Amino acid sequence: MVGTPVLFIAIPLLAAFLIPLLGMIWKESVRIVPGLVLMYLMVLAVSLMGHVAHNGPIIEIIAGWAPPIGINLVFNAFTGFLVTLIIFMGLLVWLYSYRFKSNVEYEPARKYFILLMMLVTGSTGVVLTGDIFNLFVFIEITSISAYALTAFYTGRDSAEASFKYVMMGSLASTMLLIAIMLIYSQLGTLNMADVASKIHLMDPTLKAISFILFVVALGVEAEIFPLNGWAPDAYAEAPGPVGAAFAGIVVKAMLYALIRFTYTIFDLSGAFNLLIIIGLLTLVIAEVAAIRQDKLKRMLAYSSIGQMGLVMVAFGIGTREGVFAALFIMLNHAIIKPLLFFSGSYLVYHSKKKYISDIDGMGKLAPFTSLLFALGAFAIVGLPPFAGFWSKLSFLVAAADNDMVLIIALILAVSIVEIVYYMRVVNRIFFFKRTTGLLARRPTFNAYIVMSVLGIIVLMIGFFPDTVTGYIQAAADSLFDKTQYIHSVLTASIQ
Amino acid sequence: MDNTYYDLLTYVVYGSAILVMLIGLYAVLVKKSLLKIVIGLSIVDSGLNLLIVSLGYLKNGTAPIFSKGFFELAADKPMVDPLLQALVLTAIVIGFGVTAVALSLVIRLWRHHHTLYIDEIKNLKW
Amino acid sequence: MLTLILVIFLGGAILTWLGRKINPLLGDLLFLVSVILPATMFVMNIKVGDTIAQHTLLGIDLVWGLSPLAHLFSLVVVGLGVMLSIYSISYMRGKEKVGMYYFSFILSIMAMLGILVSRDWISFFIFWEIMTWSSYLMVILNGKKVQSIGIKYFVFSALGAYSMLMALVIINSQLGSFMLSDTFNNFQHLSPANQILIPVLLLVAFGVKSAVMPLHIWAPDAYSNSPMGYTAVFSGALSKMGVYGLVLVIISMTTQLPAGSLIRIIVAWLGGFTAAAATLWAITQDDGKKLLAWSSIGQLGYIVTGVAIGTPLAMLAAMFLVVVHALFKGSLFMAVGAIEKQTGTTDFKEVNGLIRKMPVTFISSLLSIIALAGIPPLAGFVSKWMLYEALIQNHNYLLVVLLFFASTAAFLYAYKFLHGYFLGQEEPEWAHVKEAPMSMTIPMLLLALTTFVLGTWPQLLFNSIDSAMQYLGYDATNGKLWTDSVLFSQWGDKVALQPVLYAIIAVFLFFAIFLYFKGRKATRYVTTKDISTSGEIPKEWENLTFKVNFMQPFERAIEPFLKRQIEKYYLGFGKGMEALFDFTRRIYTGNGQTYAIYAIVFLALLLIFRVSLFG
Repeated sequence: MVGTPVLFIAIPLLAAFLIPLLGMIWKESVRIVPGLVLMYLMVLAVSLMGHVAHNGPIIEIIAGWAPPIGINLVFNAFTGFLVTLIIFMGLLVWLYSYRFKSNVEYEPARKYFILLMMLVTGSTGVVLTGDIFNLFVFIEITSISAYALTAFYTGRDSAEASFKYVMMGSLASTMLLIAIMLIYSQLGTLNMADVASKIHLMDPTLKAISFILFVVALGVEAEIFPLNGWAPDAYAEAPGPVGAAFAGIVVKAMLYALIRFTYTIFDLSGAFNLLIIIGLLTLVIAEVAAIRQDKLKRMLAYSSIGQMGLVMVAFGIGTREGVFAALFIMLNHAIIKPLLFFSGSYLVYHSKKKYISDIDGMGKLAPFTSLLFALGAFAIVGLPPFAGFWSKLSFLVAAADNDMVLIIALILAVSIVEIVYYMRVVNRIFFFKRTTGLLARRPTFNAYIVMSVLGIIVLMIGFFPDTVTGYIQAAADSLFDKTQYIHSVLTASIQ
Repeated sequence: MDNTYYDLLTYVVYGSAILVMLIGLYAVLVKKSLLKIVIGLSIVDSGLNLLIVSLGYLKNGTAPIFSKGFFELAADKPMVDPLLQALVLTAIVIGFGVTAVALSLVIRLWRHHHTLYIDEIKNLKW
Repeated sequence: MLTLILVIFLGGAILTWLGRKINPLLGDLLFLVSVILPATMFVMNIKVGDTIAQHTLLGIDLVWGLSPLAHLFSLVVVGLGVMLSIYSISYMRGKEKVGMYYFSFILSIMAMLGILVSRDWISFFIFWEIMTWSSYLMVILNGKKVQSIGIKYFVFSALGAYSMLMALVIINSQLGSFMLSDTFNNFQHLSPANQILIPVLLLVAFGVKSAVMPLHIWAPDAYSNSPMGYTAVFSGALSKMGVYGLVLVIISMTTQLPAGSLIRIIVAWLGGFTAAAATLWAITQDDGKKLLAWSSIGQLGYIVTGVAIGTPLAMLAAMFLVVVHALFKGSLFMAVGAIEKQTGTTDFKEVNGLIRKMPVTFISSLLSIIALAGIPPLAGFVSKWMLYEALIQNHNYLLVVLLFFASTAAFLYAYKFLHGYFLGQEEPEWAHVKEAPMSMTIPMLLLALTTFVLGTWPQLLFNSIDSAMQYLGYDATNGKLWTDSVLFSQWGDKVALQPVLYAIIAVFLFFAIFLYFKGRKATRYVTTKDISTSGEIPKEWENLTFKVNFMQPFERAIEPFLKRQIEKYYLGFGKGMEALFDFTRRIYTGNGQTYAIYAIVFLALLLIFRVSLFG
């Protein structure tokens, strides 16, 4: 082992504080240090995943207090899978934004990378922690850095988007805290495993209320339907890589929290139906809104929300296959949506308003970027032989095994809507005449690498899905096995 | 203090904390000025913090500190729950951070739109 | 081996696309190699058998093998593919986006072969979707009306594909297997509701591709908007994949159902209506490409009717028409492509009198048109005859009337096509037109001649069809199914039709020679403007070719029918949906406070419905 799970939180946090100091010595270090940190964490994540596969979950105890009293971190197949994904996306976002704008000066770059490090800290913390209040703290760290990143560009309407996000996020954190307090006042513990083992002692009404508060609070961050008004604005106004980070990192972590509450901590039978209902609502409304968008990034944002709805429906199926499908969709979405955001933000780079019509005929000017965008579009609507197909298939198989015929029909109908708006954009890129005089922006070398890596992964999962399904299966098993989670945490002792 | 009086006091404390939260919520949902909304968010936070602290209060409790004179003076008294106080401290810090971000955004919005009227700040919609 | 072939196709597609970027000539060469090499390998090495290759992805077995039925279809695909790849080289020269054309062409050939070799639904679906999007790229290749025609095509394809996807996941959940054979063998194990639902879903899926009414509206636009070299594949091979699926569903599923005969009658009538309506539409077209597109839909209508009736004779007729239609329609599309290449237009009103300038094109068009119209010496006749015979045996007299009407009306557009391009006065405008290059005319002529050969010796093809049908479960009572037809049994299975045939050919040849020698003497060719004898001096811009309003009386007669376009309803539906969507997205008002209210209301709602949610 090259380290322990706590390093996932400690090192980026440390880096976030050290960046300004190092920047005083050597300005370029502001850009380099986050990359080094993320690379190390990637190595760590991969080696820990290997360790977990052979030796079972790693429970790390912080500050010498054994659970259920102290805070513990859980690195098992499920959380490890998400952490690896988050770190990998963080790495790509870093590489892509290394010199995203050539005119990004030292000062904004410093802020940007500090915030990115905080975002990674918060998200990995959310996934790893085994303590509910600690989860709240990490959610807040993630949100605050996300607020700031949303408002990164001063020229656009980004402050407006960010303010909406703050309003919703702040209300959400209040609800989250109320829910946590309800649990604590009833059970006297905040350790997830301990809560999970005692949840049957809780008063049913209060249990339902606290679960509802959790759903609403986490739903704001996980972009479920009536709570996601901030999301399209934030995606559209944030810098391109930040949009990718939202889709690939933040939402994943928040959804993780929601799923952890549904699957492990609470034992409410109706929770799965609730997930299906809100998932379907989110999916339908988002896709329907996406088809009428005239700005590229807003369209991608709505599509991203829709995918989250799909993931929620998949989790709501409640079987092992359903969880597998949900994680598979999450993985694919974490790879494809950043690809779309990365390539899309280069396609509309010089356009002031970022209208979709500004990319007419881009295929000639920026063939590589356009091709990757098309690849992403084909993959996300689930056309074989690209990555999205397999996750969609496994979802449908899982749904069909539970006789959800009408839900399948609805989701497929919505998929047609999705196809329409993505194909409209692809058509514009390749088959329209260039109407505006705007030139294409050549991606930086780093951006080329990032986009190619994502494109290759999309193709790889498309042709050889079995390269990743082993990990997903292990993750799904690990999430599903509630008793094992509780047991392994509560029996953990200080090594 | 007899028990009924104590219970009544508990309910008054809980009730007023919730009332503070509702006042804050009212400001967030109804007031049109961005500043008032931020203040509202802050009030909601404060109300919640009050509620949490009062949850941890015990009758005849003492401060959860192993100080010098603890074993002589208060060894027979129960300690109030220290965890909640620690949590509230964290929550206050977080609330402070959020308020700071929100206020800085308000400044940005003022510069951009020259108004703080929330109904006029909707360039991003649909 | 099969995997290797598909990989060669795939790699070839990418290499061709890249090669085209480096050097056009290299691209052309790679294109030819990557179509012809794997196609040859396929024909030489892949024999009919149950399992040829097997892969496991995601725990699902992908099993590939070639059934006799698929073998029949694969011959069409390979034959057309190779011919058109040769043709495409010249056709696409000097056009834009050639690289993408080659790429999509190869991929769609690969996908079609993939569909045919799939023995399980998942690989069937994968190849089906690859076929869809590669052909989609072709439909929008010329950049005209991309958003309307292209999206229409994709929406209908997606409708079909997703019906199929839904059917196949239900099959899997009920039967625990994605294999085609398990589906057909264990069909009785499905619940009664699913026994209806699954065939219907699959019929929608395959009905879209085979352009059955009312799912056909994408077809005329998509056919006529794609590059000509590909339209032939589209109408000849790609739509036949829908027919292939229909055969599987109708023969292997609906025959096991009590309600199956009803489904089949409905499909048969839909096919009949498609044939009739599409024929009428074809007649009104002024553009050769559109005319052929509608005509293809009409011919597919015959095929669908034949398949749906499902008696041995009807199936024979349908399968025969599948092959023959690919041949003659391929040849005709190539001819139109040649005309487009040489003159730059496909409008009847503009081009005329090409008979002397493009004789080879004319001859092959003539042969194909005769086959299309179902006139005896050529292949179209055999299939139509057998279809009528089957319908009469089955007492579907009304359907016979409908089809007979369609096939008679087809003469009108067949004539219009021939006359439109090749006959009429010669305009000075087209004086420079030359015959298309050899690489275009030879494939065209080859296909037309094959139609001729198959019309004269249909048993060449019937043997193959026969084994395909025996595989489907038809019993040949007296060895060969096709001897059931009067055409063969009355005159003996040696097809004593041949003397009649030779006589016709002899007369035809005699006339041809007569005309040739007569034509060598002084014939005065007049242009349309050369009517000064009538006392009027026409203006330069006046279009006096008499193909202007060629079918005017007829069009007036069928006008009430033409007004009722299904497409309008679909468009209305689409517009309505978009308006609804636009209304829906106004939920996102842009006001942060509204969003906060949503959150509180949502919380309140959940709290109120807490009991019904969580008990």
